[in-house]
Amino acid sequence: MESLKLEKVTKQFGDKTAVNELSLQVEKGEIYGLLGANGAGKTTTMRMVLGLIYPDGGSIRYNGKPHNDELRQIMGYLPEERGLYPKIKVSDQINYLAQLRGMPRKDADKSLRYWLERFEVPEYYDKRIEELSKGNQQKIGFIAAVVHKPQILILDEAFSGLDPVNVELLKSTVKELRDQGTSILFSTHRMEHVEELCQNITIMHRSNPIVQGSLKEIKGRYPREQVALGTTSEVTGLENIPGVSKVTIQEQGGYLIAISDTSAAQQILQTAMLQSVVEKFELKEPTLNQIFIKEVGESHE
Amino acid sequence: MNKNKLGTVIGFTFRNKVKTKAFLITTLVLAIIISIAINIPYLIQLFTGEDLKSEGTKIGLVYGQQVELAGQLDSYWKEQNNDEFTFMKYDTSDAAVLKKDIEDGKIDGYLEFSEEQATLFPSVVYSSNEDDGLNPIAQAELSAALQAVKMQVIVKDSLTAEQIAELKTPVQFDAQNINANPNASTVVEEKDEAAEMMEFGVVYLLIILFFFTSMTTGNMIAAEVTTEKSSRIMEILITSVSPLTQMFGKVIGMFLVGLTQIVTFILVIIGNLLMPQNKELLADFNIDLSQVSIDVIVYGFLFYVLGYFLYAVLFAAVGSIVSRTEDLGQAVMPITMLSLAAFYIGSFSMGAPDSMLMKVSSFIPFLSPTTMIVRIGIGEIAMWEIWVSILIMLVSILFFGWLSAKIYRTGVLMYGKRPTIKELRKAMKAYKI
Repeated sequence: MESLKLEKVTKQFGDKTAVNELSLQVEKGEIYGLLGANGAGKTTTMRMVLGLIYPDGGSIRYNGKPHNDELRQIMGYLPEERGLYPKIKVSDQINYLAQLRGMPRKDADKSLRYWLERFEVPEYYDKRIEELSKGNQQKIGFIAAVVHKPQILILDEAFSGLDPVNVELLKSTVKELRDQGTSILFSTHRMEHVEELCQNITIMHRSNPIVQGSLKEIKGRYPREQVALGTTSEVTGLENIPGVSKVTIQEQGGYLIAISDTSAAQQILQTAMLQSVVEKFELKEPTLNQIFIKEVGESHE
Repeated sequence: MNKNKLGTVIGFTFRNKVKTKAFLITTLVLAIIISIAINIPYLIQLFTGEDLKSEGTKIGLVYGQQVELAGQLDSYWKEQNNDEFTFMKYDTSDAAVLKKDIEDGKIDGYLEFSEEQATLFPSVVYSSNEDDGLNPIAQAELSAALQAVKMQVIVKDSLTAEQIAELKTPVQFDAQNINANPNASTVVEEKDEAAEMMEFGVVYLLIILFFFTSMTTGNMIAAEVTTEKSSRIMEILITSVSPLTQMFGKVIGMFLVGLTQIVTFILVIIGNLLMPQNKELLADFNIDLSQVSIDVIVYGFLFYVLGYFLYAVLFAAVGSIVSRTEDLGQAVMPITMLSLAAFYIGSFSMGAPDSMLMKVSSFIPFLSPTTMIVRIGIGEIAMWEIWVSILIMLVSILFFGWLSAKIYRTGVLMYGKRPTIKELRKAMKAYKI
């Protein structure tokens, strides 16, 4: 059964529609990607899921039930502009937040110690937030979202501002939570994270869901329009092959060839094999980034 | 509202506020100031009073031409058994000798009768090397003594000793309150006056305590809410615990902080008053702590609690609509004004507690915490008036609590510039609050 199900959810602020008929569902143990430009309606959607604001139309169901007070205990939230009390000790505030979520203080403390250990920062237990670096504050913010072992976890831009090492650390943690059965609604601008983590996604644009479905199926919908070619020596005449629209010589050697017709790929390979030794040949599937740009019309990296 | 969570919020608010340096330092500084203020009379006595008593003033009495007068003055003074000053006899009127004795410290100054005989009694001159001459008490005693001598000189033997004594006693002038119990003895009346003084002091103390603690704790609430908002922890909090629980947890937690402070101050005051040197002083001023009327204390506490909650919910609401701590001062201005009005109406009307202004304002929720205390403590008030005022307070707390909770619920999600009332109402509608 799906942990979280949105059906034709609509939200209006005055005359402006913030979210228009959005439907999606997150299964138990799934990471669902919510993509969109700034102002596309992601945060409003998340706030509705959290019960901070109520939808004007449609319904949101959690484990089959409508919003209720018990949800506060089974939901975890990492806001985009994450915040903690700057002047209060890590242990004090995490335990406080966990207790507010209905966890007994003793369990909360145990859970906090586990997570600090997991992130290799046990010495932060007695530190104040203002003493920590921004990246480390984010780790603590993440702990605040998961310390009470939520069933439904909402992550808004979970990895922004982290260095690559910490991104990997957090990514593996998120996967671990997923494998333990947590349903995760995940929003980000970083397409490579979505490609790595999510099975299903929604791309929102100006309040409307414009692309929805499983990542594989979405990619299948878009034609393969790029060929990557690597050879030992120069290959000429590639731009004369019918169906080839553009040839780019890459910095690190090799060619990136844009094609308008998939059949051109075979001809490219044959031409290359006649002139040189082919080291690499790939008919690339479109990246999510390309799909996103194509649909939304602008880059959001 | 979940009781457990309310307790968690209260505990968290209380613990973190009481632990802050700012709180500890303010409380300590104020406790020291209170201690000093209470001990000021004793300290003044220590530095001045004792000095004067240890060595009585010595006045040289120049007999010179007026031997008879000087002798009469000296003997009259001896009869009085007053050690404010003593006379030392000088037969000579040689200014140089007298001046030298003043410089040597043998005498503080000297008294001389003029030689003119134009009037029945000569004028008197006191000479010393001090700018202010005799101290006021000695001066008054001296002129009384001279007056007595003058009378003796003038009436000579034409009146009997009793008649002279009768002349000297001032006219008995008594003020009488026709409403007072005619059987009451003067002793009881005196006590009433002391009790009234005491009540006056207690009322004033209560007003100051109310004003001071509600303002500081109220501002702390607003600052706390704004900090939570600006540090964005609010978004996590609001998904963990209902805004109503959050707001009232904070208000109650901060109330306990204020109470802790008040209890500390009261302990400091009582502790100081019980010190031996101040005990005597209290007795001198006829002040007896047991005379403090319990009514004033009980109602004072009741109105303090009600007033605190009324102001506190407003502070929380204001804190919730402000996004940055820098904007907070401006935003709480109207509440500060309101509390200042309550403070000044209350304290300036202590002389006229039954005026129309007081009667009206003791039923206005934001003003009644101070004005009602003045009326209960100093003025005359009927029991029903007190309870009507309390009822009005309770209703206002419910109303403003409800309104503030709505504003809080909306405000904490609104970032950016401070919203106008119109924007706030629009947002409330949009959020369906």
